[in-house]
Formats: sequence, C-alpha cells, structure tokens
Amino acid sequence: MKSSGPGFPGLSGDWPPDEIARLLARVTRPGRYAGGEFNTRVKPGARPRIVLSYPDVYEIGVSNPALQILYSQLNDATPASAERAYCPWPDMAGLMRAGDVPLWTLETFSPVGECDLWGFTLPHELCYANVLEMLDLAGVPLHAAERDGEDPIVLGGGPAVANPWPLAPYFDAFFVGEVEGHLEAIVAAMQLDGREKRLQALAAVPGVWAPGRSAGPAQRQIFTGFSDSDPVLRPVVPVLEAVHDRVVIEVMRGCTAGCRFCQAGMWYRPVRERPVDRVVAAADRLLDETGCDEVSLLSLSSCDYGGVAEALTRIRQLRPGLRVSLPSLRIDSAAESLAGFAADQRGSLTLAPEAGTQRLRDAINKGVDEDQFDEAVRATFQGGFTGLKLYFMIGLPGETDDDVRGIARMAGSAARLAREIGRGRARLSVSVSSYVPKAHTPFELEPFAGAETLRRRQQLVRDAAPRGVRVNFHDVAASVVEATLARGGPGTDRLVEEAWRLGAHFDGWSEHFDMRRWEDAAAATGITLGEPTVSAPAWRDAVDARLDEDFFADELARSRDGELTEDCRDGACAACGVCAGEIGMELLA
Amino acid sequence: MTFWIVSFARSGPARYLSHLDTSRVVQRTFARAGVPIALSQGMRPKPRLSLPLPLPVGAAGAGELAVVEVPEGVAMTTDALKALRAASPPGFEPLGIAEVREGHPRPQPLAAEYACLLDGDAGAIVAAVERYNETENAIRERVSPKGTRRLDLKDYAGDVVATSVEGGARLGFTIRYRSDGAARPQELIDLIAEWAEVEPAMRGLERLSIVWDHGLPSPPAGQRKELTT
Repeated sequence: MKSSGPGFPGLSGDWPPDEIARLLARVTRPGRYAGGEFNTRVKPGARPRIVLSYPDVYEIGVSNPALQILYSQLNDATPASAERAYCPWPDMAGLMRAGDVPLWTLETFSPVGECDLWGFTLPHELCYANVLEMLDLAGVPLHAAERDGEDPIVLGGGPAVANPWPLAPYFDAFFVGEVEGHLEAIVAAMQLDGREKRLQALAAVPGVWAPGRSAGPAQRQIFTGFSDSDPVLRPVVPVLEAVHDRVVIEVMRGCTAGCRFCQAGMWYRPVRERPVDRVVAAADRLLDETGCDEVSLLSLSSCDYGGVAEALTRIRQLRPGLRVSLPSLRIDSAAESLAGFAADQRGSLTLAPEAGTQRLRDAINKGVDEDQFDEAVRATFQGGFTGLKLYFMIGLPGETDDDVRGIARMAGSAARLAREIGRGRARLSVSVSSYVPKAHTPFELEPFAGAETLRRRQQLVRDAAPRGVRVNFHDVAASVVEATLARGGPGTDRLVEEAWRLGAHFDGWSEHFDMRRWEDAAAATGITLGEPTVSAPAWRDAVDARLDEDFFADELARSRDGELTEDCRDGACAACGVCAGEIGMELLA
Repeated sequence: MTFWIVSFARSGPARYLSHLDTSRVVQRTFARAGVPIALSQGMRPKPRLSLPLPLPVGAAGAGELAVVEVPEGVAMTTDALKALRAASPPGFEPLGIAEVREGHPRPQPLAAEYACLLDGDAGAIVAAVERYNETENAIRERVSPKGTRRLDLKDYAGDVVATSVEGGARLGFTIRYRSDGAARPQELIDLIAEWAEVEPAMRGLERLSIVWDHGLPSPPAGQRKELTT
C-alpha cells in the first residue's frame, strides 16, 4: 500500500486527468474533489475494489465517523482497496453531466462505476435524493434490477437502514446494524466470480437484507468486540475545513437513557464502553497522527460514559492548552460535567430539555425537572461559558399548546439567569425542531403533527419568546418530507425517484430544498406527504432491530400515563429484548 | 524569537487548497512532525505563522514560503525537515528551512512568474495576447464588498507569452507586486479570454518562481542559516 506523503507528480499540469482538471477549474471549492488528505490509502491492483460514499458534500461526509471506521478497516485489515466519493455540489454535477465525466474516487480518480462494491452510509431521509444523484452521476443503473455484468453491487448501511423501503429498489442489499464484525465475509463475497455468485454470498452474510432475495427480515448486527477494540487510529485528515475538524474518539456505543422519541437510543443498544486507558492512549496517538488541537469524546450521551471525568482529566494533561469537548451534556449532571472543562476553553454549549413542560418531558422519558434545568443553566454561566443553546422539539405525541408555551417559559427562565450571572456577556439561543416519528421506537406508529400544527406552534413559541433570545426553527416543509420517508413502506421509492427527477438534491440544505418538487412528486405518485404510507410497521418485514414489540407497547402506555422508565445501566431491566446470549451491556467497573 | 522561513512546493491535490486551507496544512504538518509553533497571546491562542504570498486556488507552486515562529530552543535540524516531509499530505512538500532571528526583515514578494493553459481556439487566444502586449492600458474593475477599484493590468503584469497547444494555448506571464498591490492571474486571464471570446477557465496554473525581497536566497550575512534537501 502506498502511504500518503510528499513527492506527488510535479508541476507539469498533467495531474489530475485533463477531463477532471477542466471541471475543477470551473467549480467552487475544487478541493472537495481532489483528495490528497493525510492518511489516504492507495492500494494499486488490490481486489475487490470498494468505494465508500456518504451522500452529502465532502465537508460533511469526510467527518462521518462510520466511514472512517470502514475505510480504515477495509484497507488495513482486508485485501480490499477502499476509496471514497462524496456527493458533488450542484455546480460540479452540472459540469460532469455536460462533459460526460462520470463520478470519480478521491484516491485514484478512477470511475466509481467500475468498482466491485459501492457502499453508502445512509444517515437520514433528506439525503435520499442524493443517493440517486450519485448513482446517476456514476453511470450506474438506478435500479438494482437493471444492473448486470460489470456494474457494482450497491450496498446501503447506517441508521436510515432502520427503514430501507424508500430506497429498496436502488440497492442490491442493505447491511442492518454494525458491520465491523462482518467485513471479512463481505470482502470474501466480492472476491467470487460473477455478479450472481457475489450477491448470493452477500445475502448470506448475517445482517444483510437483499430486497427480493432475502426470505425474511435481517437481524440487526451488534459489534460485540467494541469495548476491546481501538477507535480508528489512522484517520483520514481532511485538508479542507470539515464540519468536525478535531480528533474524534468514540468512547461508548449505545444509550439506555430510554428517550421514547429517539431512534438512535433504541437502534444502537446495548451500551458498550471503552476502557479509559484505551481512550486516553488513542487520544495521545491521534493528536500525533492528525495534528489537531482538540479532542471530542463521541457517543450518543458522553456524559453517561462511566469514565468521562477521568478521561477528560487525563486527556487534558496530554498537551498544554488542549481542548476537550463533549457533543452534548445531560441536564441532570451538567454541573458535575462542566467542572471537567478547562477555564480557557469555555465558549458555548448546548442543553437539550427537549420539551417545555414536566408532563411532556415525563411522557418522552426525558425526566429532568425545572430545578435541574435551572441548576444546569446557572452552572453554565457561573462556569464561565458565554453562550448557551437550548434545544427543544415541537410536535411530540400528546403535546398541547401549553407544552409549547412552556418552551418560551423555560427560555425566559434561562434568560433571567443569563442576565443575572452572565452580566451582559452571556448569549442565549433556542433551537426548535419538529418531531418526526421514526421506525423502531415506541412512538413509531404515533401520528406526525403535520405542517399546519407545526407552523402554528412555531408561531406560539415566536410570540411568547423572551426579548433578546434568538429562536431558530427547522423548516417544517423539510420535516414533512422526512416524516413521509421515515415510515414509508414499499412503493415510497417512487416518491424519491420522482422528486429527484424533478430536481431534488441536497434536501438537507435550506438553499437547495424546494418543497414544490416533493409536492409535484407526491401528486404524480399518489402519495400523501406527511402521512405514513403503511398502517403496519412495514420496516419489520425488512429489519429485525432485536427490539421487543411488547417493550414498545409498554413504553407507549407508560408515555400516555406519564410514567418514567429507568435507565437500565443503573436501574431495572426494561426488557427491551436486545440483551441475549453474548450480547449485553459492557460497562466500566 | 526565532523564525523559520520554510520553502515548500504545492502540487497535485494540494493545488486545490485555499490560502486558509494551506495555512492549516502547514500548522497540522508541524504538529504531526512534533515541531512546535509559537502561539499568540490571549484567550484563544493561535499559531504564529503566515504565508507571505497567497497562492490562488488551483495553482501549483514550486517555491512558496511560509514564515513560522518557533519557541526558543527548537533546533533547525535535518531530522526536523525530514519529519515535516514525512508528516505532509500528498502534494505538499517542504523543501528547506532558513532560520532567522527577530528583526530580520520578512520576505516580501517583488515579482512572480506564472504559466497556465487556456482552452479554446489557439489562434484567437494568441491574437488576444498580441493585442494585450501591444496595448498601453488594460483597465479592469475589481469589485469587492469594500467597493469598486479600477486598475490597469499593464502596471502589474508584463508581456504575456502564448504558445499553441492541443485544444488551446499555454500562457506565460509575470506579475509584479507593488506597494499598492498586484493584479491577480485570473484578472489577466479574464481579459485575454474576453478578447479571445473563450471561457476564462484556466487550468494547470503554476507559479514557477518568485523573486523575494529579504526572502530566499541572498540572506544578510550572519543573520540566518539554511537547511535544504
């Protein structure tokens, strides 16, 4: 394998290939398409040739931790060569089509369409149109049924595979769950001769659901070696500024806080923690390997990581002035967590009460009370932080107008504390997103609030918000599309394809999202936006998430009764169904 | 204070970096190589480094400079240069280091020689270049958020040499850097492309050489030492 380093072909102007250089001369941020990152791997002649993609622009995709894991493990621990391609920005996509230049990989500038296996990480529903855009730009037939011979096998993975129906016809197969323990089997399948043999072998890998080929749902795979493994120690280091421009260490996988709206909290069970020694050693190595000056301890709820205080302290001691961050803080332990930060790294942070009243927080199993909230806000500003963002959702099941006004009341309370303690320096903002019911959660069959209700409730928050507090809202129209796809059944793919053909792309970007395309697509396909296209959970026909239906029913009943369910890491087992055999929680002593 | 004037080449994928991206690459390369950079004072210390002549996005450079302040006691050694080279991303290549003490004048560019390819009708491009070389004034407007500035490209860019190549022409020219600024290569190419009626999308832009005042070479005696590969 060639390692990255200096000595690239010189100044002759013959690199990259002429047809690509002509495009790069005409687009914004050409570095998105040129690769050249530190720790890039190139394995000439290696087979199978795998391309890994994240269906968004480079700066987003290169920060995705899952792709870093796959890239590292496939290149370093299997005979395969893994390269990368991200979704071209519309200016580049237009030029590629006009010039008939197919999508290329960053490592070798080879056509993506000539690879053996094309793997997509699917993070959320609003990137689905980009998947079709990338297939089209690569010259790969959109529908799996139309592929043959030399066409790559297209495999989807990631959290959005929780409901694969809206993309089912475009993928040859989906991998459900955590793939780390099955990469060798997938690579072995791709080493067979012929597309049909490869597909047969791939479909036999545990966790793989091949539409039209698999007899039943695929069981979500859980990486039982997580606690005994290192995080990625040779990550690709982007040369353009990425959204996460720091060392990222996954300290824990899974979360058992049990928030009833949270798909990730259900999907990544059970909780597995990495030992502090391993985390600290990885931080030391990664600081050397990347040259970054900030470390982020990644997980769904890093404050719950059993070694968080020790890890924060020891990592800060690795380098003078080193910044260490956590993606979010739990309100009920914020004051304790905040003490772990150095005085010179206190900027702004986010607290997520999620709902405006105690009743609704109990219904979603968030559980924090207003005293804890006030204490967390007080600790934030007393600790020297100058910015605080509060994150809420509207449209939760059982929500009333009073719950929504409660958001403004909590913001008002935080604003008072900011004025008293922050003495003019404290900035407070509120972010309000729209709740979208997701598959494999207790709320999976609850109704979506709908555009009219969400807009009216946004206005309620706007009208009641305290002066001087900036309130941001997510685009309701985008949430309507997300809600349609999140619980779309067989046939929803026609909506995605029609919207893409009408020009939908980068729907997660406000400057590119256009609701008219989705409305026109809905009219053409007879699908009602915002409504689930099925009454039963069709996703269970494709995906067995290992979560017990009785658990969901019980959680839904408890939600309606306003009853809390304990976190099973330090309370009673809620019988979610995940822990069985060798699969169970792995907690630090 | 000790400053390292690091000469480097930028080519391959690194040619598509912006000025800020290139600064970050220098910073990260030093960090990976284990060579510390001095930090500024204040709540959010920043590494003290600068690139005295930004290289346009898409351009390769054969002899670029970065001025990096290192803490006292950091030795300029062959091992340090080797470590920087090993820690560099593809297309970014440290070539040498010159160490200067505080008070040594910072490198100032006087002129730089460029070459690029311009696609289109070679005859039309060559004719446009001849027109440029013969004209006395070539006034262009530079629009920025601060306002509109008129500049005469002839004050900053000397004669252009054009050679026909397959599918277009290869252009060579020199930009002069004056106390009131400089023309950008793209501004010159825009003018020639406009006159030639071709798309102003140059490719393969290369900065072949730079003439520095107080830079490399010809150091004031005794004030600095150099290390090259």
